[in-house]
Amino acid sequence: MSNANEKFQFVKIDEFASEHISAPHYSYWKSVFKQFFKSKLAIAMLIMAAVIFSISMIQPLFSNYNPMASPDISDFSIRFNRPNLTFWFGTDHWGNSLFDAVWSGARTSITIALLATSINMGLGIAVGAIWGYNKVLDKYLLEIYNVVANVPFLLVAIMLMYVLGPGFWQLIFVLCMTEWLSVAYFIRTQVMIIRDREYNLVSRTLGTSAVRMISRNILPFLTSVIVTMLSREIPSIISSESFLSFLGVGLPPQITSLGKLISIYITYYGTYPYLFWIPVAVLASISVSFYIVGQTFADASDPKTHR
Amino acid sequence: MERKVILSARDVVVKFRVRDRVLTAIRKVSLDLYEGETLAIVGESGSGKTVLTKTFTGMLESNGFISEGKIFFEDQDLVQIKNNKAWEKIRGSKIATVFQDPMSSLNPIRTIGTQITEVIIKHQKKNSKEAREIAIDLMDKVGIPNAADRFNEYPFQYSGGMRQRIVIAIALACRPKILICDEPTTALDVTIQAQILELIKNLQKEFGFTTIYITHDLGVVANVAQRVAVMYAGQIVEYGTSHEIFYSPKHPYTWALLSSLPQLGIKGEKLYSIPGTPPSLFYEVKGDAFAQRNPYAMNIDFEEEPPFFMITESHFAKTWLQDPRAPKVELPSAIRDLHATIVKIYGKEGV
Amino acid sequence: MTSKEVLLSLKDVTITFPKGKGVFTAVREASFDIYKGETFALVGESGSGKTTIGRAIVRINPVAKGSIEFEGKLISEKLGMEETKWVTKSIQMIFQDPATSLNERATVDYIISEGLYNFHMYKDEADRKAKVLKSLTEVGLLDEHITRYPHEFSGGQRQRIGIARAMAMEPRLIVADEPISALDVSIRAQVLNLMKTLQETKGLTYLFIAHDLSVVRFISDRIAVIHLGRIVELANTEELFKNPLHPYTKSLLSAIPMPDPILESKKVPLFYDGSEHDYSTDLPSFVEISKDHFVWANGKELESYKKILKI
Repeated sequence: MSNANEKFQFVKIDEFASEHISAPHYSYWKSVFKQFFKSKLAIAMLIMAAVIFSISMIQPLFSNYNPMASPDISDFSIRFNRPNLTFWFGTDHWGNSLFDAVWSGARTSITIALLATSINMGLGIAVGAIWGYNKVLDKYLLEIYNVVANVPFLLVAIMLMYVLGPGFWQLIFVLCMTEWLSVAYFIRTQVMIIRDREYNLVSRTLGTSAVRMISRNILPFLTSVIVTMLSREIPSIISSESFLSFLGVGLPPQITSLGKLISIYITYYGTYPYLFWIPVAVLASISVSFYIVGQTFADASDPKTHR
Repeated sequence: MERKVILSARDVVVKFRVRDRVLTAIRKVSLDLYEGETLAIVGESGSGKTVLTKTFTGMLESNGFISEGKIFFEDQDLVQIKNNKAWEKIRGSKIATVFQDPMSSLNPIRTIGTQITEVIIKHQKKNSKEAREIAIDLMDKVGIPNAADRFNEYPFQYSGGMRQRIVIAIALACRPKILICDEPTTALDVTIQAQILELIKNLQKEFGFTTIYITHDLGVVANVAQRVAVMYAGQIVEYGTSHEIFYSPKHPYTWALLSSLPQLGIKGEKLYSIPGTPPSLFYEVKGDAFAQRNPYAMNIDFEEEPPFFMITESHFAKTWLQDPRAPKVELPSAIRDLHATIVKIYGKEGV
Repeated sequence: MTSKEVLLSLKDVTITFPKGKGVFTAVREASFDIYKGETFALVGESGSGKTTIGRAIVRINPVAKGSIEFEGKLISEKLGMEETKWVTKSIQMIFQDPATSLNERATVDYIISEGLYNFHMYKDEADRKAKVLKSLTEVGLLDEHITRYPHEFSGGQRQRIGIARAMAMEPRLIVADEPISALDVSIRAQVLNLMKTLQETKGLTYLFIAHDLSVVRFISDRIAVIHLGRIVELANTEELFKNPLHPYTKSLLSAIPMPDPILESKKVPLFYDGSEHDYSTDLPSFVEISKDHFVWANGKELESYKKILKI
């Protein structure tokens, strides 16, 4: 009887108890990485990209590879060896180990791609953010952009390379010359989409400066978009560089890149196919792995996928 | 007077898969719908009122599923219908829904006329000429002036209130038995709202369908409903006739809802407000879901889920306060004499 | 009680927006004063211009004609840096939609401190933190919330974060743009109570913009009704409800659904479309028909209104 009475006793409620949030603290980057590592494919690609990156940075330091010379010009037996246990990738028309050649080329290609992409993205985001934010600037820059964007890249690139001459930094310059503006335009459009959202209006009423608006209100929302761009830029630059090198424009003879190798070995497509296909395979692996890692990271950095 | 039950939900449980967790949005709901009536389902967001009616039309999102229960309609158990094709015989033609935002219910790139005739042709097997006549007649009935001329216009050429009328016309094109109105006037201005509610009432008299209103606005409920079901945290906690719910409510949540209405506020005094937020339905709820925010909570509310207690033949409340062993609690003063209070504040006719 | 000191004054404010080749007039010659310490409600339906006026006061929208004065100083024109700082600190806004008015990628700490950072309104880091925590507790939130992100909160809590953000600036006038329309009914009372408490403890003045007359009755001292950019009636709250004169005001009042089935079943809604006015020869103006009761009417209508008021 007393037990039943006790059950029907009033309980004092704690008003603040219901304000308390019981879910664990949300950490943006933790969620991003958690989401990223859910994809087995992305993890595999990440490993592959890391492996390729490491080998291409380290291997050429020990290989004494010289694209312009043969280890023994008179020894014909070392030429055109198919892949075997001594020469894992075989040898080329001068008897150079394809293994050495490929990693030396990969090193160049990757370095150029990373450098050019960094410059493009850095410059592009900085300019694009201000461009998109400032309505007056937009009017002028848009006119310039419409003209410049319509000039075909290849034409400009080849012209510039003939003017500047071959060289590592010249090539990077050419690869950045037109691309950064495209990045800037894209960022500008994204910024314009976000710029007039209500929380930005709020910041304006609080007197927030343009710099802070861009860095705290707009750029954080573009993380996903920027990473998507990165994932496309790197493979894109790699292929542009490869194409230019393939055309024989850009790198001096003492520096090799995957594109150059492919352009040299394409003549052996029918006779010694491994000479062609192995550099192509490495090039494709770099592109695909970077792309997939980038895409997965981009999806993971979109907060909508966290909740 | 025996009224026919046209839809009967029994012990329905609906769950959603969200990321790696399961959310129980509806936690055993039973409901009878009588032919020709207007039932209002009231609750705040997250109470499950929209989810419940989506089970009647098979419009649950892809990550939602009915894990238990039955829904009887026209000798069928709607829970058993698994494929979309079977749902098409019911959705739109027997049970139709009017949603809150008319702009997202209408296709912006097709004319108003085709959107109505399309439904008629599909469900009633009429040819386009007959369908057009029926459509224009419908547009007339829902109050579109110059219906024949406006037949070929596009949604953007209509105002918000007009669009909602068209959405209603489309919903009624196939003379459904049940019309579900999910917050149909929340996005509209107050004056237009009054017109739309009036329109639905008149159409109900003429066409003879049964209406379910989903809303959080108690003013709308008072205007349209004959019976009211109050939902909280995935369950119906009280239901009864409109008069019973407004003038003699028995569940503390209903009291809280009524007491917190700004319309009842007295200048200079604080409004009654419900502290806190509803519980997370990712976790199983122990006892009464409203306990944590209930100023009349008792120990037993935290331990056992209360059953429905009968107050009258039409009025039931799911609260331990109705148990004979519970202390007698009076209605909060703010709502004790609701009609008199409102008349005093607003004058006799509400103006 | 409210003093008779004028805090904000609008005189013949007209606001236009470019539309195609011409302009769209959103607000026409709006004039009203807001006294220190009161809650002034501006009520209208969508497209009435009420939000536009609110945004013009916080200087988001420019004013085409007329003037807005705050504490006697003109604020509707271009201002220098010092004056802009003064206006930003003195007049703040509470926005309607808690889902879109918070920066999703910032913590509550940053959101509330944003204004403080902009004007360096704190002595040092400890002082700033203290101010943030004070703002949080004032609106009924907990200390632990400062490291959380907006999406972790409910709608009512988010709106309170928005209020805390405005309060941190220690403003004197707050423009509340439909602050409870987007909230669940059971949360509205919470926020209204909070606003009232803050007003009492800090001596705030509110411009409360709403579309629902029944809500403003509880909270406001005076009400202005606006229709298609024109203020059609302005009066003390009780007077407006007791003696509504303009037909639009009457239709608005009759359209509010009351939570009372008996009343609702007897109700006859009044429709207004503007056709009952004949302004072809007898032009209307904004006239004070009885003490503190203004109405937009022409001579003939004024006569009939006077008869209704029996004056």
